[in-house]
Formats: sequence, structure tokens, C-alpha cells
Amino acid sequence: MFGFHYRLERKTIGMVLGIIGVASIGGIVEIAPLFTIHQTVEAAPDMRVYTPLELAGRNIYIREGCYACHSQMIRTLRDEVERYGPYSLAVESKYDHPMLWGSKRTGPDLARLGEKYSDDWHVAHMINPRDVVPESVMPAYAFLARTELRTDDLGKHLKAQRAVGVPYTDAMIANAPADAYGQASPDSPAAEGVVERYGKATMVRAFDGKPNDLTEMDALVAYLQILGRLTDAAHKPVASAEKQP
Amino acid sequence: MIGELTKSERQGALLILLALAVTGLAMAVGGSNDPLGTHGTLVMVVAIVGTFAVITGYYAPEPPESRLDSYYDTPTKFGIVAAMVWAVIAMAVGDWVAWLLAFPEWTFDAAWASFGRLRPVHTSGVIFGFGGNALIATSFYVMQRTSRARLPDQLSPWFVLFGYNLFCVIAATGYLMGVTQSKEYAEPEWYADIWLVIVWVTYFVLYLRTLNRRKEPHIYVSNWYYMAFILVVAMLHIVNNLAVPISWGSAKSYSLFAGVQDAMTEWWYGHNAVAFFLTSGFLGMMYYYMPKRAGRPIYSYRMSIISFWGITFFYMWAGSHHLHYTALPQWVQSLGMTFSVMLLVPSWVSAGNALMTLNGAWHKVRDDAVLRFMMVAAVFYGLSTFEGSFMAIRPVNALSHYTDWTVGHVHAGALGWVAMITFGAIYASVPWLWKRDGMYSAKLVEAHFWLSLAGTIIYVFAMWNSGIIQGLMWRTYNESGTLAYSFVDSLIAMHPYYIARAIGGVFFLLGAIIGFYNIWMTIRTASQAQSQAEPDYSAVGIEIPAVQPGR
Amino acid sequence: MTITHDLLVWFSKSFGLFYLIGLSLIVLAYAYWPANQKPFEHAANAILDDDDKPYRG
Repeated sequence: MFGFHYRLERKTIGMVLGIIGVASIGGIVEIAPLFTIHQTVEAAPDMRVYTPLELAGRNIYIREGCYACHSQMIRTLRDEVERYGPYSLAVESKYDHPMLWGSKRTGPDLARLGEKYSDDWHVAHMINPRDVVPESVMPAYAFLARTELRTDDLGKHLKAQRAVGVPYTDAMIANAPADAYGQASPDSPAAEGVVERYGKATMVRAFDGKPNDLTEMDALVAYLQILGRLTDAAHKPVASAEKQP
Repeated sequence: MIGELTKSERQGALLILLALAVTGLAMAVGGSNDPLGTHGTLVMVVAIVGTFAVITGYYAPEPPESRLDSYYDTPTKFGIVAAMVWAVIAMAVGDWVAWLLAFPEWTFDAAWASFGRLRPVHTSGVIFGFGGNALIATSFYVMQRTSRARLPDQLSPWFVLFGYNLFCVIAATGYLMGVTQSKEYAEPEWYADIWLVIVWVTYFVLYLRTLNRRKEPHIYVSNWYYMAFILVVAMLHIVNNLAVPISWGSAKSYSLFAGVQDAMTEWWYGHNAVAFFLTSGFLGMMYYYMPKRAGRPIYSYRMSIISFWGITFFYMWAGSHHLHYTALPQWVQSLGMTFSVMLLVPSWVSAGNALMTLNGAWHKVRDDAVLRFMMVAAVFYGLSTFEGSFMAIRPVNALSHYTDWTVGHVHAGALGWVAMITFGAIYASVPWLWKRDGMYSAKLVEAHFWLSLAGTIIYVFAMWNSGIIQGLMWRTYNESGTLAYSFVDSLIAMHPYYIARAIGGVFFLLGAIIGFYNIWMTIRTASQAQSQAEPDYSAVGIEIPAVQPGR
Repeated sequence: MTITHDLLVWFSKSFGLFYLIGLSLIVLAYAYWPANQKPFEHAANAILDDDDKPYRG
């Protein structure tokens, strides 16, 4: 038998297959069950998708590398629940391509940031964090308020999201740029369509305080205000036994 | 360099560069109002410059047949210099962002200068730029010697090295423009990922072709580690980066996975990047350079094989310890924890094997800073694998996760193990490659060693302190049963440690700059000596006996 | 037949254990197989050989 093994090893390809076999099985065994996990995970029928404006804000969050310092995952530990709110459920990030759970808290967790502070606070905080939190070490993001948001390709963004499994409708895709504008311009005719497509609870506001121009600040604040608020599932008692510590 | 390629290889190079230029043009046109267009222009310019370089040397005489009597080391030389360039750049950026956490105003109101965009320049620059170039360069060196076979051709090693560095440049410049997938340590977007796959497959095939030409029936264990590095990194890279671009004209893509699957895939990748990029590859390096430099064979060859399979197997299961107490199912967390603890066995077998190899050569360790780099690396490897297993235990992780302790742990591994073994291997191979008796200055090697060690210790102690204080402050309750400290309180407590960490980083960076200077001067004196003594030895094919260490 | 989550978890947990034990045995046997000692020792010592030339045969 070991003569065979020895010959196998003499042939380089044997080594290659050995390494692939040994190394891949761990990953397959561990990850495969996660693809059927929806069978055990709590359902959240009230869960809605991100609006185009929130998605654009999320992309700014990604672009600026916010995830390097802020987690979006409250662990099932008493102090975290008391500090940040109900612990995060798997279902809450089911539309997050990619997830932004993070790995480091140079700043606080943001999983339940939505509606904790006013839009004005967020805008001031982004323009200069130390104006509102003197000890903050966060970089200033003043440029967001003077950068116009790119909306022409939002339809493509939604389409790609649908390709990876997020249930955007044709109407959502077709109206994506208008909806992005409408959500930040409450008095414009486009605002109605946002509520129609994404639900009454959708926040339609001039997030950056200026209703007429659509900036990256609008998008980012809209995203920060929806964090933890796509579903109420986490605020209800949870049945899933497997995730209790 | 072009003179070392055969006629057909020169033609092949031109074809590749032409294809690259066309691809760059397509990207530039298709993504004209997108960062993709900028990268397209960059690719096109690089390809055109390369084309001119090949055309300029096109009619140079072909390399003589006698080249086959020696190993092909020019790519290794290039890779070592590239690694050192990346080291200096990426460590400087790293130290800069460390200062940013103490003095956050230093971003000049510019998007590119903020912490979030610069941090991946540091992480990718150090891991892929510095570490990756060092691995590729040393693997070329080691696989040729241990197989006693020359690289099968002169073109593919250059394709691998230039292609890989192009990937690194696209990655780093992309972050500055805000191009990122946000997957930690896998930030580059889809087009850079595809390019890396092409380069990586070429690298793998090159490795196999060289091994298949080997004279020795048995494949030396270093090559096992290097091969695991190449293979598994390919596997991880492809799976974790599966994504749908929003269009062919845009840099932006959306990950195929979402939420909990994405988290598990990302940390399966992330942890195994540590395992197969930052451990396996560098163990391969250590198993060649340390015995060679010490003049003694590995203490136990058997143990090196057992720990090889142990590492290859156990690491794959350990990734979920990054997700303790999260929305990941608990059985996956427990599995990750168990395997992480078991990982200590093969890890310590490797570290012990390395240190036992030095047994009987301690006088050399005392006198030779190069060997000392390798010894300290083995010690830090043992320390940080112990720390890693410890931090993977759920209750410990409850405290350590999300804090600076993790950052300290990573740097104990990255500075203490990866960088130290690399510097040791580079200092060992530079004189061998450029045919010198030793480095330009042994004193500067000594200085580099002490700066690196001091920098690592300052850094790691600062982060241990800040991390544990942070973790404790976040979970401390006062008598009335409410949380004692606000988040901002913990932030204020971090300030002195953030400054200490940045100072530790300055030490380490200074060491790397000195190392770069020393290597540069060794190369310069080598080329001067060569041009005076033997102007054309390579043309007539006289093999100069290599100067070997372990005297 | 549908693949249920419980089935996959059961498979992961049981198969993984046997796989681990089996693989350890194979590796240990290979490393300690007496006939393999000679090539191992040869390999460990061969890299110290200072003949810095490729083999051409």
C-alpha cells in the first residue's frame, strides 16, 4: 500500500490532488449546511429590500471602508445587547451582498443605528465628527455633502442585486434613479413612487437638509437610518433554539 | 533581461503584451466614466511600455545554450527587490494610518487620505505586495535547487512576477479611488480577481513543470508547503470572490453570497489566507533557508510532514472562530473552536522542529543576525499560534473579539513571524544570488534586527494592553447593574496606546528602510565588482561557484 | 429526495470525525513507514549540498 503511496507522491499530480482533497473537504463540510440554513432560520415576512438610495448609501459605506472600524453584528452577550440593542439575527442580513458584519470596533457597532440620532446629527457628524463627539478619532467626510450622487446606473445595480438573489421587481429596477431622487426630495412628485414600491414605513426626507440636490450625504444618511430597521424580527422573542448561547 | 529570452519567448512576450494592451483599451473605453476606465488606461500604459522594452531588446543575441547549466535566478532577484519596495511603501502607509487613529485630523479633507481607504493599501501592500513577492521569489529559488532543475522556460516566471505586481498595483490604486469589495483581505474587485486567477494558474503550472523536471525522486518538504500555498490560495480566492459585476463597464460588483453564508465564506477565506498565504508558504521558506543557513538538516523530517498535513487539514475548519456569538449556527462555531485548539499541535510541532534544528548551532545564532531573524521568527510563530488557539476559545473570544487584541495578535504573526522569516531568507539569498561573500554591511543587518524586534515588541504590547482594557471596559458593570463606561470612555483610554503602537511601527519601518538600503548597496557593489573582474562571464558561460553560507 | 439542513449537519458531524481519524492514521503511517526513512533523510541532507547547478542528464 505504501509503495503505492510513495509512487503517488513521486507523481506531482498525486500531491496536488492530495492537497486539494484534504483542504477542500473542511470547507465543504462546514459551509454546505449553511446553504440550507433558511430551513431553520427565523422567518421575517416584514423584511423589505434596500431602496436605491439606501443601496447607494451602502455602497458609499463600502467604498469608504467604514467596515474596517464599525461592526454590524451584535453578539449574543449581555453587555452588547444592553449597549447596542437586541442581538443580530441571520435573517437581518439576508439581502446583504456582501455582509458587513465587520471584525473590529475602533468605533461602536452600527447594527441598530437606524433612527437613534437625527439626520442633522449625522450630517454634522460626517462633516466633522469632533463637532459632535470631541474625542472621536473618525475621519471627516465633509466631501460627501458636496459630491453629487451618481444615479444613472442604479438600475444596473438593482439588476445585479436581483441576479444574486435579492427580490427587486421590474418596476423597482426601471424607476431606480427616480426613486433615489424622490426619497430625498419629499415634496417632489417622485416621492410617492418610493412609498408605493418600498412600503409606507420608508423614510422619505431631505436627509442632508437640502431637498433640491441629491448628494452622497443623502444616500449615506438614508442608509445609516435604515440600519437594523429592515425588519422587526430582532425585537420579537426568537424561537430558534440553535442560536441561543 | 530581454536578452535572456529566446526568440520565440520574445515573440510570446509581445503577443501577451499586445493582448494586455487591447484589454486595457477595452476597459478604458467601456468604463470611461468609472474607476474601471482609469485602471484600463493604467493597464494599457503598462502594456505599451512593456512592448517598447521588448522591441528594444528584440534583436539582441539569443541566450547561449550554456544558460541551461545554471539556475534561472533573475526573476528571483527582481522579486526580492519588489518585495522590499512593497515592504517600505506598505509599512509606511501602515504607520501613517496608525498615526491617523491618534490624530484623525490629518486627512486633508481628501477622500483618498481617510483611514478607511488607506488601511487596505497597508494590508494588501504588506500581505500581497511584500509577502507575495517574497514567496514567489523564494519559491522560484527553492524549487530549482531542491529539484536540481532549472525553470522550464524564461518567459513564464516573468509573466507571473509582472502580472502579480500589476495586480498589486491595481489593488492599491483602486482602494485610493474607492474600489473595494469590502471583503477583508479580498478587497480587489472582479476584474483584478480574474487577472490574478490567470497569473496564479501560470504560477501553478510553472511550479508543476519544474517539479516534473526534478532529478530527486522525493519532493523536498518545502515544495509541499509552497504547493499548498499556491493551490489552496487559488481555491479560496476563486470561491470567496464569486460576484456579479453591475456591468462590463463598471468596477462595482455584488458578492454572490449574502449574510451568514457570505460571513462564513469570507472568514473561511480570511482565516485560510492566514493559513496558506501567511503560514504555509512561509513555512516552506523556513524549511529551506533555516537548515541551509544553519548548516544543519531539519531536526525531524517526519515531523515536518506530519505538521504539513495537520496544518493543511485543520486550518480549513477553523475559520468560524471569527464569528463566535454571532448569527452563525452554534455548531459551526464549536467546530471552529475545536479545530482551532487542535491546530496548536501541528503549529507547535513546526515551531519546535525549527528551533531544534538550531540546537547545536546556537553560537551561529548569536553571531549571525540573519539566522537570528529566522530564530526569532520561529519563536513568534510558536507564540502567535498559541495566542490564536487561545483567542479562538469562545469565552476568551467574547472579550478579545472586535478589540485591538486581535490587531496585536495579527501583528505578532505578521511582524514577528512573516516579516522576520522573510528578512532572514532575503538576507540569506541576496549574497548567494549576487555572488557576494555577505551583505554590504553586517552591522546594518544587526541594526535592522534590533529595530524589528523592538518595534514588534512595542507594537504587540501596546495592542495587548489597549485590547484587553477595551474589552474589559465594554463589559464592566457598576454597582447599580448598568454598564460602567460609554464607548467614548474606552476610546479615550486607547489614545496613549495608539501613540505607542505608531512609535513601534516607526521602529519597524526604519528597520525595513535600512534593509532596503543594505540590499541595494549589496547589489550595486556586486555589479561594480562584476564589471571590473569578469566583464562577460555570462556570455561565455563560465559558472562561478556560488558563495554559500554556514561557514 | 430533498437535502434537509439536519441531514447535512448530521453528515458534517459524523463524516468529519471519521475523516479526521482516518486521515491522521494515513499520515502517521506514511511518516513512520520504515521504508520511507531513507528518502526522507536523503532529502533533509540533500539541500545542504552546495553544488549550485541544475542536473542535466
